[in-house]
Amino acid sequence: MYQTTNIYLTPDLKMSVVLLNNPYLLHLIEHFGINIPVYDKSVEVICQENNLSTALFLTFANLYNGVQYTPKTPLTYKDTQPIINYLKNNHKFYTEEIYPTILGTIKQMSDSNDHKEMALVPKFFVDYFSEVADHLNYENKVVFPYILDLYSRITNVANTRQQPEYSVKEYKEHHNDIEEKLNDFKSLLIKYLPYKEDRVLRRKLILSLFELEYDLNIHSQIEDLILIPLVAKMESHLHKSK
Amino acid sequence: MNRNINIIVVEPSPLVSEGLAGILQKSEIQCQIAFKSSLEDIEQILAKKKYEIIIINPLLTFSNSKTFSGIITQFNLKSIGLIYAHFDPSHLQMFDATITVSDASSTIITTINKLLTELSQHGQNELKEALSKREIDVLKLLANGMSNKEIADKLYISTHTVITHRKNLSHKTGIKSVSGLTIYAVVQKLVSIETLSEL
Repeated sequence: MYQTTNIYLTPDLKMSVVLLNNPYLLHLIEHFGINIPVYDKSVEVICQENNLSTALFLTFANLYNGVQYTPKTPLTYKDTQPIINYLKNNHKFYTEEIYPTILGTIKQMSDSNDHKEMALVPKFFVDYFSEVADHLNYENKVVFPYILDLYSRITNVANTRQQPEYSVKEYKEHHNDIEEKLNDFKSLLIKYLPYKEDRVLRRKLILSLFELEYDLNIHSQIEDLILIPLVAKMESHLHKSK
Repeated sequence: MNRNINIIVVEPSPLVSEGLAGILQKSEIQCQIAFKSSLEDIEQILAKKKYEIIIINPLLTFSNSKTFSGIITQFNLKSIGLIYAHFDPSHLQMFDATITVSDASSTIITTINKLLTELSQHGQNELKEALSKREIDVLKLLANGMSNKEIADKLYISTHTVITHRKNLSHKTGIKSVSGLTIYAVVQKLVSIETLSEL
């Protein structure tokens, strides 16, 4: 994904400046439920209007801009729910928007190119994405409910259920690397797959793969750098208060 | 560029050669440096280990420039003239680049980095061209859905060797996953699409 000049984002910047600088952040605000137009309002004002922590927004937005940001007020347990909402929306975006779009382009492309080997390409992507979907599903069904349960036990001390065996450490291990096949796909398209009348479609496909890669990369950074440390803190907090 | 580079410095003055070593060590270039004060016995050193770059005082090449260029070709070295006196420019043409004692550290590093880039591009082109016969054997079996163990048994080699071939395959093609390599094998007509066991 192309990168504009990275600007370091702060609360007093206008949201419009932030978005015009890196339009990919339109995905970010969408996943947070923020709508455009944003008029001349600052990041802080927009966040307040949408009941979202400015620190959280800026942490994510700066990741998109390639900066690891340490907010003045650190993230709190309260941020858990919005983070998970965000990630769930992000998952939906992958499965309901990106995946069908890319698959559509691939099918069109292999239709317009009758080299035999092109027939292998749709299957390659379908297989790849089913690995991605397994991972997303696992997060939705296992990890997120576990984290929300932790949070509710922290806020409601009276409810002392048995702590589940699961821990966020397992999550990190399960957080497998799905970049490899995506890279292979890009290489095959750019270096090897024979060309025939499919230039426009192939270019579109390659660019959307780069975009997906960029987004997946931010997605896993959010999980590794923000969510997992926060959950680890909650786990040890609960452990101590036992 | 993360690979480790071997550099040989041929320079009689310890002040100059050690000063150069200091500059290199402080830079981002990951290198090991060998020192020699003359060209004597240099072939023995070069034969023992792969060196990428030779940095040499031009004075040492005057009397035996033929031998020197022979060495450069034989060991596929990039050469840098290390200059602190005035030389006839025609004599300096034999070097791929030059650095002088009055150069800033950053200029020296830039010069070396440029050569390293040329080297790595050259190396890659060479590599891409040919998969070895054994690598092709492994690739074919891999494309037909065999595991490392099965391939090892079939080719009478160890699993360890299969893994080495696979690493080289990925390095040369830029493709790591089995499904990606399968498509590559079909494109290169190493396996036919009809014979693929499962589609």
